[in-house]
Amino acid sequence: MSFITSILEQGLIYGILALGIYITYKILDFPDLTVDGSFPLGAAITAALLTRGMNPYITLVLSFLAGAVAGICTGLIHVKCKVRDLLSGIIMMTALWTINLYIAGTANVPLFSQKTIFNNDLMEKIIPDVLAPYATLIIVLVLALICKVLLDLYLNTKSGFLLRAVGDNDVLVVSLAKDKGNIKILGLAISNGLVALAGCIFAQEERVFEISMGTGAMVIGLASVIIGTSIFRKMTLLHTTTAVLIGSVIYKACVAVALRNFDPQAMKLVTAVLFLVVLIISMDRKKKVNTNA
Amino acid sequence: MKKKMVTVLLTAAMVTAMAAGCGSSSDSGSDKKESYTIGIEQFAEHGSLDNCREGFLKGLEAEGIKEGDNLTVKYKNAAADMGTAKQISDSLVSDKVDLVCAIATPSAQSVYNAAMKADIPVIYTAVTDPVAAELADKDGKPVGEVTGTSDKLPVEEQLKMIREMLPDAKKIGIMYTTSEANSVSAIKEYKSLVKKYDFELVEKGITTTADVSLAADDLLSKVDCITNLTDNTVVASLPTILDKANEKKIPVFGSEIEQVKIGCLAAEGIDYIALGKQTGKMAAKVLKGEAKASEQNFETITEPGFYVNSKVAEDLGITVPEDLANSAVESFGDGN
Repeated sequence: MSFITSILEQGLIYGILALGIYITYKILDFPDLTVDGSFPLGAAITAALLTRGMNPYITLVLSFLAGAVAGICTGLIHVKCKVRDLLSGIIMMTALWTINLYIAGTANVPLFSQKTIFNNDLMEKIIPDVLAPYATLIIVLVLALICKVLLDLYLNTKSGFLLRAVGDNDVLVVSLAKDKGNIKILGLAISNGLVALAGCIFAQEERVFEISMGTGAMVIGLASVIIGTSIFRKMTLLHTTTAVLIGSVIYKACVAVALRNFDPQAMKLVTAVLFLVVLIISMDRKKKVNTNA
Repeated sequence: MKKKMVTVLLTAAMVTAMAAGCGSSSDSGSDKKESYTIGIEQFAEHGSLDNCREGFLKGLEAEGIKEGDNLTVKYKNAAADMGTAKQISDSLVSDKVDLVCAIATPSAQSVYNAAMKADIPVIYTAVTDPVAAELADKDGKPVGEVTGTSDKLPVEEQLKMIREMLPDAKKIGIMYTTSEANSVSAIKEYKSLVKKYDFELVEKGITTTADVSLAADDLLSKVDCITNLTDNTVVASLPTILDKANEKKIPVFGSEIEQVKIGCLAAEGIDYIALGKQTGKMAAKVLKGEAKASEQNFETITEPGFYVNSKVAEDLGITVPEDLANSAVESFGDGN
């Protein structure tokens, strides 16, 4: 069953990244390419701190903060310098490449000999032997749920409502005498914080920082958000954040199916076809809603 | 409701597909003692890495382990994505293969990370610096059930060869991708050795294929010759660089046989097929139980081969010193 465990682990780690993209793409309506840089940023910070003997749990917080700073920069470039949204993301993504190299020192930092959040004395004591094979999954699940719950709580605060309003109807925000620019910056900060956190967890699970690990992160996250939100469109009882996490797991399952059963060259094509199938199924449901209405 | 059914059915189909893949594989592994199932995880589609894989299978065959006869190979390619690499590693480990061959550094690290818990031996190749990658300790001893071959460049031999071919050259240019750890460590070695052969090093860092053309123009205006590393991005764009260099009659040296074939002047370098064969022999020892992976130190190609392209030499008006020409393992161009 370990391949299912693997899909869940990977899906949930990238699910945290997808939660971040959900904020920018779905809530703020901001196509944020910073993600390709902030995902390895979290990993770079983690690698730099772990090799200097920092407690692995503190790296989670610091990675989130570093990602938030990156998000704020994108926001400032967009809001204050009036650069278009897509371009401000590209600028930050490009800059972060070098910044990540400086932070980590080299393009590849192995973490085999470091203590990580998955592998330390505390965890060995807490998790009983029976559950040991699932230890990684349990930790990732807990982290993903914490992120989800905190995000749900935040979105129901006054600030969270304003955030949602900026994407849906920014005139309303202005009429409430709030600065929509600041709210966008805040949204980008939270989003990239989550993305960097995902990078931090991925680096600790994979036990390596690699500069190229962010390439395509945005696409994976976006696909997860779209799969999740369109499959569970009708289920009002389910939080959208949960749908996004599940979407990410489905994405990883598609990749796993493509990897296991097909020729290596065909992997990307099969993955693409699987997405299409998933999306068409959910699209039908949307049509039905329309005809019923 | 119908749609819900379809969703459920699809999910069920996917789970079965995964389970099916798993079931068939674990059977073949435990049937007979004399047959082996191995996994190969290659990090990206790439000429040199493909050669490694080809050589690896040849190396196994030379030891009597032949694909189709007594060997089942599960070959997977991560398409240069770390997340996919991780999924492949987990999937190979859950299939309980007898051994995993990992090609290129990120794959080696990923496979080792997944396999160490399951006690599956890992044999890597095309890892330039196994010590920096924490796959071996400072004395070259494996850190666990993991060993293999390194494609570290023979930098000193290369510089010596260039000095012999171009006695008057002063500035030597190298283009490399800043994100490739292998290139960065090779640049460091070049830096420490150029003085010894009276060269001055001009380095040019790039980040993507799109930068190659501009960087090449700039580099060519500053140097007397160019030498290549095994940098993936640069090697993939080598024809662009060669075109520009030929216009200016600036010689470009390669780092492996394939680069000389497509038009580099010469190389004191690696033959990845030979490297793969060496790796395959190490893997055979592990499979046959002659030596554990942890008992074999990682290996490098001890004697680099000299490759020269005589047609390019003629075009550039360079005469290859006789000693060197005689020592050539292979010469391309009009001779062949």
